[in-house]
Amino acid sequence: MNTTVNLGGIIMKNPVTTASGTFGFGFEYQPYVNLQRLGAITVKGTTPAPRAGNSTPRIAETPAGMLNAIGLQNPGVDRVAQEIMPRLAELGVPVIVNIAGDTVEDYALVARKLDGVVGVAGLEINISCPNVKKGGIQFGSDPRSAAEVTRAVKAAAGLPVIVKLSPNVADMAAMAEAVAEAGADALSMINTLVGMVIDVDRRKPLLANLTGGLSGPAIRPVAVRAVWQVYKAVKLPILGMGGIMNARDALEFILAGATAVAVGTANFVNPRTTIEIIEGIENYMRQNGFDNINQLVGLAHK
Amino acid sequence: MSQLVQVEIAGNSSPAPNIYVLELFAPTLAEIAQPGQFLHIRCAQGIDPLLRRPISIHAVNRETGLVRIMFQVVGRGTEMLARRQDGLLDVLGPLGRGFTWGQDRQSRTNPIPAPVDGSTTNQGNIILVGGGIGAAPLFFLLQELAATQAAPRVKVLLGARSADQLLTVELAAALGFKVQIATDDGSAGFHGLVTDLLAEELRQKTEYVYACGPTPMLKAVCTLLSQAKVPGEVSLEERMACGVGACLSCVCRVREPGGEENHQRACVDGPVFSAAEVVW
Repeated sequence: MNTTVNLGGIIMKNPVTTASGTFGFGFEYQPYVNLQRLGAITVKGTTPAPRAGNSTPRIAETPAGMLNAIGLQNPGVDRVAQEIMPRLAELGVPVIVNIAGDTVEDYALVARKLDGVVGVAGLEINISCPNVKKGGIQFGSDPRSAAEVTRAVKAAAGLPVIVKLSPNVADMAAMAEAVAEAGADALSMINTLVGMVIDVDRRKPLLANLTGGLSGPAIRPVAVRAVWQVYKAVKLPILGMGGIMNARDALEFILAGATAVAVGTANFVNPRTTIEIIEGIENYMRQNGFDNINQLVGLAHK
Repeated sequence: MSQLVQVEIAGNSSPAPNIYVLELFAPTLAEIAQPGQFLHIRCAQGIDPLLRRPISIHAVNRETGLVRIMFQVVGRGTEMLARRQDGLLDVLGPLGRGFTWGQDRQSRTNPIPAPVDGSTTNQGNIILVGGGIGAAPLFFLLQELAATQAAPRVKVLLGARSADQLLTVELAAALGFKVQIATDDGSAGFHGLVTDLLAEELRQKTEYVYACGPTPMLKAVCTLLSQAKVPGEVSLEERMACGVGACLSCVCRVREPGGEENHQRACVDGPVFSAAEVVW
């Protein structure tokens, strides 16, 4: 059975990775997950300088989901490149580093510093973080800005570049086309949906940031639809995510057109979700007579 | 090392209105759990409510392998948990850095040096301050302290809104500890705040203070300790998702020994922090 996929130049031995921000730098989950079984590890959004992130409360539980507004707390690219990557590289698993910034130059700087760092298999451009004032989603909602960031990152690093798309736009396919044109190697979708919770007892917004990004099974049908539409519009491999809790959820994304899938919020609920999905996909292939995972990619369109 | 395990529910009791104690048969957890650590518990079988609930370990019996958790029903997750009588519970734990006591206390970064239990340098009192459900993890600490030479110097101060909300008073007394109580409405013990009792106790020579309770209480404890120049530890609470240090939801503002402030995670850097390092 062949479960190897090629996500825009990132070769994964199975189609399962982690969603940025939900898996730390991997080591946090080592007591529960054999990290070497993962197709890839996608790590926390990394910026040029360390960031303290937002005030608390940073999360709120919602029906079948949660809101988060962490605000890109991270140790900065220098520590990621010099201290964290050498340890992660020892696992021999491709690492996708999510990168973020306030300006186009910020993205290019982080990309340049990660280029050639052992273990870094690719970059995921975070142009869709809804929880920071500058950067993030401002690049993710305008096709020209998104293309500009993509070109700058491609020029700064010789690594495969995945652009993470926001669902908080009128036309995701137009965004996908713009970044494809600018040289993106793959797309990841979807980032969280902007949401809000009001604390009725305090009569105030619950989150310190007022709004946050909605994730979890509540958003899965939205994410599957986004993958379906973008798969039809653009010829780039897609990393699908949004509320994936088990193998059947993951297969929905693959059948809709995702080459690989990322597990996010589910890690918080069941730390072993990634491994269970890898095994579940293999069982599904065995039971349904598929010997190559790539036969399933986009099959629901046929 | 923490584990992801299914443990058997061996009992469910309610010692006070809205307060529940679940007894879990979990020999491996009992073996490694430390006072102040918590279990991250999946309350629903399905996806709603989605996240686990962090609940502190209340008592451990290493001979029988039983672990007790005590919690207050505050929402749908804890409500579901309170209804559980038997069957298996999905538990991640033990998690977090707990209270430091005995030899371990030296390892904690603390601007005020604290002597080790049993040493002769500072034979002051060791005071535990619990407010409301905050009494729950302190009882596990009392179980451990009961077996040390420091036991005769331990004082327990427990507070609650009213007499029927007081927790672990009899349990602490049964271990032989001196317990003082305070209630907001004066229905039992001192009529006032448990921190008023602490202020009074701090007039005597005090070696160390441990506190767990609502945020205003912990803030008052830290102010009193800073004024009295007494070291101590407080157990903080913050909304938590992963419980293992990955998601950065449950951060608390902490002052480093150098004076620099940063965010630390309640789930792995805490939930117990040095009283002097917390930024309120």
